[in-house]
Amino acid sequence: MTDAAVPVTQSAVENFTARYLRSLGCQVEIRDNEWQVTIPEGVETDLPKGEHALVCGTAEDLDESYEQLHPESSFFQSVLDDASDRAPLGGTRIDATGTDIIVPDWLQESPIPVSDIDFTPYYDRSALVVLFRVSVETVSEYQQEFLRSIGVDVRSKEILPHIDETFLTLTQSETAIVPSRDIAVKPEQVEQLVDASRKTLLSDIQPQIDKIHQGASRAADAELEEYRQLQRQREEELETKITHLRSRIDDLNKSIDDKNQTERVEALKERRECKSKLQEVETDLNELRRRREQGYPDQQREIRDRHGLEVVVTPVTVTEIEYERGDAAFELTDCDLTRILTVGYGSGVGVTEAVDCDGCGRSLSGENPLGAIANGVRCTVCRDS
Amino acid sequence: MSDFDLVDIEVTHEPPDNVLSVDPDETSEEHLHTVQAVRLKAGQPDSELRSLKQLDENSVKMLEHQVDAAYRALFEMDGKALLSDEVGLGKTIEVGMILKEMHFRETNDSVLILTPAQLAKQWQAELREKFGLEFVCNYDDEFRGFDSHDYIIASIDTAKSDRYRQAVLRRDWDVLVLDEAHYVKNEETDRYELIDHLSYNYAFFLTATPIQNELTDLYNIVSLLRPGLFGTRDVFHQYFVNSDQETLVNRNELQDRLNKVMIRNRREDTDVDFTDRRVDTRKFEPSPAERELYQAVSDYVKGAYSQDQGQKLVLMLLQKEVVSSPEALETTIRKRLDDQSELTQTEELESILDLINNIDTVTKQERLLDIVEEARENVEKGRVIVFTQFRATQRRVAERLVSEGYTVHSFHGGHSSQEKEEIIKNFEEQGGILVSTDAMSEGRNAQFCNILVNWDLPWNPMRVEQRIGRIHRIGQNRQVYVFNMALTDTVEEYVLERLFHKIDIFQQSIGELSEILTRLEESGKSFEDEIFERLVNADSEVDLENDFDAMAVDLQEQRDLAEKLEEFNSGVFEGFDLGASDD
Repeated sequence: MTDAAVPVTQSAVENFTARYLRSLGCQVEIRDNEWQVTIPEGVETDLPKGEHALVCGTAEDLDESYEQLHPESSFFQSVLDDASDRAPLGGTRIDATGTDIIVPDWLQESPIPVSDIDFTPYYDRSALVVLFRVSVETVSEYQQEFLRSIGVDVRSKEILPHIDETFLTLTQSETAIVPSRDIAVKPEQVEQLVDASRKTLLSDIQPQIDKIHQGASRAADAELEEYRQLQRQREEELETKITHLRSRIDDLNKSIDDKNQTERVEALKERRECKSKLQEVETDLNELRRRREQGYPDQQREIRDRHGLEVVVTPVTVTEIEYERGDAAFELTDCDLTRILTVGYGSGVGVTEAVDCDGCGRSLSGENPLGAIANGVRCTVCRDS
Repeated sequence: MSDFDLVDIEVTHEPPDNVLSVDPDETSEEHLHTVQAVRLKAGQPDSELRSLKQLDENSVKMLEHQVDAAYRALFEMDGKALLSDEVGLGKTIEVGMILKEMHFRETNDSVLILTPAQLAKQWQAELREKFGLEFVCNYDDEFRGFDSHDYIIASIDTAKSDRYRQAVLRRDWDVLVLDEAHYVKNEETDRYELIDHLSYNYAFFLTATPIQNELTDLYNIVSLLRPGLFGTRDVFHQYFVNSDQETLVNRNELQDRLNKVMIRNRREDTDVDFTDRRVDTRKFEPSPAERELYQAVSDYVKGAYSQDQGQKLVLMLLQKEVVSSPEALETTIRKRLDDQSELTQTEELESILDLINNIDTVTKQERLLDIVEEARENVEKGRVIVFTQFRATQRRVAERLVSEGYTVHSFHGGHSSQEKEEIIKNFEEQGGILVSTDAMSEGRNAQFCNILVNWDLPWNPMRVEQRIGRIHRIGQNRQVYVFNMALTDTVEEYVLERLFHKIDIFQQSIGELSEILTRLEESGKSFEDEIFERLVNADSEVDLENDFDAMAVDLQEQRDLAEKLEEFNSGVFEGFDLGASDD
């Protein structure tokens, strides 16, 4: 799985906009920083038809007749919106001739140099490269979006770890020319393969989600703690109020007998009000205490629900890629000894089969690379022991 | 982390309907465009500091770690960052780049920079000269309050004062910059409360030593920037702080969190390298006439100050001018006589004028010729800058040097920007001697010259360092020579010998000095005031010496404290890789 997002520099903005508009049949005349764009009526696009005078970058005091062209400009955003909906499904081909041979990490990390590589293709296979948008939203942080690519073999449904990287590299180039190919895969297959790749996608992106998850949980916890403190404060206020009311009632009790009739009635009335108020406040306080003892379950639920994470996984483009399968012969030279190691290989995919150590039987890997070729294929551990 | 329950996660998988609903007959070129558009949509809005190409390389030389810090603060930290580079690595430059970029993107309609009082003017000068950003400072005459300007540099204590506090809090600031952010380490102070209540969209806090006394300082500062990043205070303590309060535990987790908000570059990881600096202080015995004048002015200042402390500034000026030149002194004395007819000390002032007239030869003038000659003989391309604080002195020095046949350039604040540039250009091309006031010490750089003479000495060490900083900066590839001229038994000698040399001020960087001085300021003292008070209040020569020694001890203590703190912070953050995260 690969991070498929690309940096949106001013140069990338200008390059993409010009290529895209011209591909639609628009005229783009560029004079230094100023562009004159004509979008004819007949062109199938949601972009506003007619003449557009664009100025690259941000400019102050721009005349109203000009529009800006930079990463955040509305014109560029419209171009992206228009282009991203146009052809989300497509097909292409990766030939061995157009790509570098991918040397496996167990050879890259090996002390034994590769002196030559030869790839012989035998047959074609198909893979899908899916770009997934993963959006993670929580109330305590801005929505975060990731764009991840995954490659999966159409027939075996096996995840192909390198093909998406190869595809992204090929399409990243500003002058990328990707060969055209009809799409053979059926819609039902696409759905199945997309589903098959979701599990890998989620497990690969889990560390990022975990981080956001922990951050959201911390924020919820902080809010809950604040709520607890507020409630505690409220309890203290009520306790103070109760003390005052009791004290007032005591005072009234003491003074009632000494008063004349009218004052006595007033005092009795006040005492009744105080008692009623006291009861009310005591009820409130008891309720607060009860909720505290229970740990504020409603609030906990409400706060945690609100801070909960919403992860939405959306496949945004699917590319069917025809690639070649065959054998790759790696010529290895160790001092005077030369050995040719032949392994299954796919163009843009890399080595497709595991190579085991003839000594211990373990698969070679970046951590345990090829160590010697004198007596068969030996891993580094076996060579050193 | 186990101190809290995790909130729920709800995962929704959307079907590929949007992909399949589109006609697959579109061409591969269109699909390529769609893939590229989707990737651009998901990318960071921009990964370039677009304003950098507008900066003048002669004004500011940007280092990789500074550009990187500015980039990360803006784009990876959403414009809320704690810039904690070790001392001397240019945190101000990093903020300058950030503000320049925000200006370029028009996201800085209102900016408030809060600094210690001593540094406000320096910030103003640096932003103007290095980045072309105009700010008004609360010490400027045109400052009309916090609701009257959009770009303000102010001392934090002015901002929190009863007079201005409400106006500061009433506004929604786009950007807040807080220099020496450890000022807000304590949540129970007015300063903390001010920052806590300020409303802003973006904030950049600067400090080399986020931890001053205890690790809670770090919690407080970071929580102002990113509330909730560390959870509650209790959780922070339980999880990250060892009970002895001196060490951090769970460092990896802490680093992960700090990475979201804090940038700390270490000297060893950068390519900052300065050439050597040699300081040569020359003391000269004043002539009897100069001695008599010095005594008379000092007595006058002492007497006048005891009668009316309100005239402190002008008296301080006289005390500085008397060791600079008779011309500088005469201008002020005459102005004082003209301006204040009711003045009671007219007679004393008239007699000072008499003493000025008695001076035939100015000792420093003669000795300057020796220094210039010596320097030029020993140093290849021996251009020399002579700094004085006063225009009148500048005129005298320049005239004399011209009469001796030297190529002389004069630089002062009265020139237009274009003229200033031309003067520096001529100095570079023609060589010779540049006689300058401190107007040059803010901003204009002359790395092509490596000899500097302090004809007279500002009492504030920051001013001295700013002068030296004009030639001793990144880009200077020769050893730098600094000559200090002082008359014996005068305030100049005291300041130089008893203060500056004792604590080795000439070898400190701007960053180190500001750490020392802001610590002093925190204890409520202004450096120049301290010197002046000691000068006028001493009853005897011995008293004066003792007073200056005591001040030096104080400075030394602050310097030691600053060093210890820097070491402590380095220790705490040792092993932390606060660079960009890989994921």
